[in-house]
Amino acid sequence: MNALIVIACLGIAAMMSEVLGFKKLLLPLVAIGLISVVGLFVMDWNTSIRYYHDMLYFDNYAIAFSAMVTVLTALWLIMSKEYFISTTSKAEHAALILFCLTGAIVMISYSDLSMLFIGIEILSISLYVLAASNKHDLRSNEAGLKYFLMGAFATGFLLFGITLIYGASGSFNLQEIANYLSKNSEHLPMFVYAGVLLMLVGLLFKVSAAPFHFWAPDVYEGSPTLVTAFMSTIVKTAAFAAFYRLFATCFSDLSGWWGETLAIVAALTMLVGNVLAVMQQNFKRMLAYSSIAHAGYMLMAIVAMNHISAGAIFLYTSAYSIASLGAFACLHALGANDNEKIINLRGFIAKQPFNAGLLCLAMLSLAGIPPLAGFFAKYYLFYGVIQSGYLWLVLVAVLSSLIGVYYYFRVIYTMFLPREEEDGVLPKISGGHKILLTIVAILSLLMGIFPGILQGIL
Amino acid sequence: MEPSLPFYILATLSVFSALMVVLSRKPVHSVLYLIFCFFTIGCHYLLLNAQFLFAVHIIVYTGAIMVLFLFSIMFINMNKESEPHKNTLIKIAAGVLAGLLFLVLLEATKGAETLGPPSPNESYSTVANLGKVLYGQYLLPFEIISIMLLSAMVGAVMLGKKSVD
Amino acid sequence: MEFILFKLVLVISVFVASLLIAMYSTYGERKIAAFFQDRLGPNRAGPFGLLQPLADGVKMFMKEEIIPTNADKALFILGPCVMMMTACMTGVVIPWGNSLIIGGQEYMMQITDINIGILYVFGVVSIGVYGIMIGGWASNNKYSLMGAIRGSSQMISYELAMGLAIIALIMTTGTLSIREMVQQQHGAHWNVFYQPLGFLLFIICAFAECNRTPFDLPECETELVGGYHTEYSSMKLGFYLFAEYINMFISSAIIASLYFGGYNFPFLSNLGLSHNALSLLGTAVFFGKIFFFIFLFMWIRWTIPRFRYDQLMHLGWRIMIPLALFNILLTALVVLWRSGQLG
Repeated sequence: MNALIVIACLGIAAMMSEVLGFKKLLLPLVAIGLISVVGLFVMDWNTSIRYYHDMLYFDNYAIAFSAMVTVLTALWLIMSKEYFISTTSKAEHAALILFCLTGAIVMISYSDLSMLFIGIEILSISLYVLAASNKHDLRSNEAGLKYFLMGAFATGFLLFGITLIYGASGSFNLQEIANYLSKNSEHLPMFVYAGVLLMLVGLLFKVSAAPFHFWAPDVYEGSPTLVTAFMSTIVKTAAFAAFYRLFATCFSDLSGWWGETLAIVAALTMLVGNVLAVMQQNFKRMLAYSSIAHAGYMLMAIVAMNHISAGAIFLYTSAYSIASLGAFACLHALGANDNEKIINLRGFIAKQPFNAGLLCLAMLSLAGIPPLAGFFAKYYLFYGVIQSGYLWLVLVAVLSSLIGVYYYFRVIYTMFLPREEEDGVLPKISGGHKILLTIVAILSLLMGIFPGILQGIL
Repeated sequence: MEPSLPFYILATLSVFSALMVVLSRKPVHSVLYLIFCFFTIGCHYLLLNAQFLFAVHIIVYTGAIMVLFLFSIMFINMNKESEPHKNTLIKIAAGVLAGLLFLVLLEATKGAETLGPPSPNESYSTVANLGKVLYGQYLLPFEIISIMLLSAMVGAVMLGKKSVD
Repeated sequence: MEFILFKLVLVISVFVASLLIAMYSTYGERKIAAFFQDRLGPNRAGPFGLLQPLADGVKMFMKEEIIPTNADKALFILGPCVMMMTACMTGVVIPWGNSLIIGGQEYMMQITDINIGILYVFGVVSIGVYGIMIGGWASNNKYSLMGAIRGSSQMISYELAMGLAIIALIMTTGTLSIREMVQQQHGAHWNVFYQPLGFLLFIICAFAECNRTPFDLPECETELVGGYHTEYSSMKLGFYLFAEYINMFISSAIIASLYFGGYNFPFLSNLGLSHNALSLLGTAVFFGKIFFFIFLFMWIRWTIPRFRYDQLMHLGWRIMIPLALFNILLTALVVLWRSGQLG
C-alpha cells in the first residue's frame, strides 16, 4: 500500500516537475523512487494485509506481481532515457508512465471489483494517450484512437458483467462473491453465467486474445516503439495478474463451465498469433503477433487453475516480459530511422557481434529453447495444464511453439546474412539499450538455470 | 416490485431515443437523441427515489459531457457522404451477433427475481448517506479515481498542447 | 384539494410574475440605459412609456415568421422552446416567501422544496445551454454557429467555477435545500458575510451564465451580427430575448436567496406583526432584493465593456476556478476549526 502511494505521488511529482523546474532531476528521481518501491514491496512480503475495507489485498501473489511490474518499469526506463530527454513533453510522459504503473498495481492487488475497474481504467486511459503521443505520425494517431475505441468497448462488456454479478451476489468484494457462488452453486440464476461470460469477454479484449485480438497488431505497430514495449510487457503482465486473480478467487467453482471455452480461446490465440507472426516482414508487427501468441500460453495457466498455476503464470510473464524488453530495445535502437523491417537486421552479427548475441539470447528465450527462462516457463505451464487434464491443449501449445521457433529463428538467421547496399548503415547499439540488453540476457539465463526461485515463491 | 406506469413511459422513451441515436442520419440528431436518452435514464433514478443521483446524472452527463460532445460534432461538421460504407456482409454478421447476444442476455435476465421496492421514506439515497458510504467503505476507490482523472487531464494537455518544433 | 389549488395558484402566479417582470425588465433596461446616457428613453406609449413592452410584444407577434431554407426546421423551432422552458423551470424551487396560514392550514410559498434544490437549479441551467447550441446550429449560418459555440463553451467554463463556489456555501450551510438555506439566514445572518469570496465568484458566474455584459459574447453584435439568434425573427427571437430576461430574474432571485437572506430581513421578529403579514412583507422584501440585483445586472451592462474571448477564458479557467478552489480550502479549514477538529 505504501508502495502504491509512493508511485502515485511520484507521478504527481513528475507532472509538477516542469512547473517547479526540476525537470533535469526527473529521471534520477523516478529511478530512485522505483527502486525504493521495490524495497517497500520486499518489506511487505508475507504480510498479507487487506486495506481500506478490503479494497486492496496485498498477499504474496499481489506483492510478487507488483514488484515484478515495478522492476520491469525500471528496466524499461533504462532504454527510455533518450525518450525523456528529446521529447518536448517529457514531464507528461513520465507522469503518464507512473500513473500507468499505479493502475497496474491497483489491478494486480484488487480485492473488490470496483478497484479492478478503476485500475484497468487508470492504466488504459494513460495508455490511450501514450499510444497517440507521437502527434505528427498518422499511424500513432490511428493507434491511439483504435486503442481507445476498442478499450472503451471492452470496458463496456466488463462493466456489464460486473453489474450482473453484483446483481446476483449483492457485493463487489471478491471473497463475498466467491462465498455466494459456492453457497448457491446448485441454483445460480442464469444471469450470473452471463455476467461471468461478459467479464471474460471484456478481459479477453484487454489481453488481446483471439478472436478479440484484431486491434492489437495495429495498435502495437502504430504506437511509438517504447510505448509498444511498455504495453506488451508491463501492461500484459498486470492484465494477466488481474485476470488470474479474478478467476482464481471468484469463479474457480464455475471452472467446469468456463474452462472449455477458455481452453479453446487459448488454443485459438496461440495458433492465430504464431501463424500470423510467421507472415510478417515488419519486426515490430511480428513482435506484436508474438505477444498475442504468448497471451495464449498465459491463458493456459488460467485454464489449468491448480496449485502450481500461480507460480507458472508468474514465471511465464516474467520470462516473456524480460525477453520482450530485450527485443524491443534492439528494435528501438536499430529502427531509429523508421526502418522496422526484419531484413534491416542483416549483417548485425558481423558488425556488432556482442549485441547480436544478446538479441539471440532474447529471441531464444521467447522461442522457449533450453536452458533459457522461456523454456522452463513453458515447461511449468504445460505441466500444470496436463495435471488439470487438458492434454489436447498442451499438444496444440507444443505445435504452435514449433511454429514460433520458426519465426524467432528467422530473425536470428537474418542477422547472419551479409548486409546489402540498400540497407544503409546499421545504427550502433550503445548506452542504455546495451545495458538493458545485457541485463535481459543475464536475467534470462539466470531464470533459466534457477527457474524454481520465481516459480516456487507463489 | 411491479413496475409502474411512469416506468413504462420512461423506458419506452429511453429505448426509443437510444434506437434513434443509431438510426438518425445526421450526427447532430444522434447526439440530441443521446442527450434525451441520458435525460430519461436520469429520470429512472427519480423513480428509484435517488434524487441526488438524478441531479448529478443530469448535470454531468446531460449538461456537461454531452455539451462537449455536441460541441465537437458541430465543429467537425460531419455529413453523410464522408462516412465510409461498410460491407453488407459485415453489417449482417454484426447484426446477427448483436441479436444473439441480446437474446442470450434476455434469456439470462428473464428469470431473475426482483427485489422489493425501496420505500419512499427510506433515506438511503440522501446526500449525507451517500457521502458516508463514499468516505467510509469506498474511500480508497473514491480517492484513487483522482489518479484516473489526473491522467486523463495530463493526457489531454499533452495531446492538445502545441509542440514547439 | 386546497393544497393542490394553492400550488396551482402559486405556479401560475410565479409564471405570470416571471413573464411580467421579464417584460418590464426590457422597459427598465431601456430607461436605465437612457439615464446612463443622459437620454429620455421610451416615453411615447402610455404615461412614461409604460406601455412600451406591450407594444414591443405586439410587434414581435405581428412580424413575419422566417425559417431559413437550409435550416434544420425541427431543431430551429426546438431551440427557442428549450431556452424558454428551462428559463421558466428554475422558479419552482425558489422559496418566494415564508408560509401563509389560511384556515388553520399552513401553506409554503414555494412550489416544491426538493432536498437537492440547488442541484436541481444547476441541472436545469446546464440543459439551458442546449437552447443556444441547437438554435445556433440549426440556423445553418456561420455567425450563428460561432455564437452558439461561444455560448456553450462560456457556459461550461463558468458553470465549473459556479459549482465550486456553491460547494463552499454547502459546506457552511450543510444542506442542499434552498428553503433551509434561507431559513438559516434568519435575521441578518446572511451568507454573504460568511462567504464573501464565494458570493463574488457566484455573481460573476451568474453574469456569464445569463450571457449578460461583460460576458455577452454569444450575441456580440459587433463581431457576430446577432450571434446565435442572427437568423431568428418574430416571436422565436422574442423567446430568446425573453428567456434572457427571465434568466436574469431567476438568477437575481437565487443570488438573493442564497447569499442575501431571501425573504429574511433584519429585525423581522421585532415588528410584532401577524404571521401572514410578516410573510407577505418578507416576500415584498425578497422582491426588493431581486429588483436590486436586476438593476445591478443593467448597471454593469451600461458601465463595463465586453471581454475579449481569450480574456473570458483566461478569467474563467485561470482566475475563477483556482479562486473557487482556494475558497473551498479556506472554508473547509474554517469549518474544521469551528467544529474544534483542527488542532
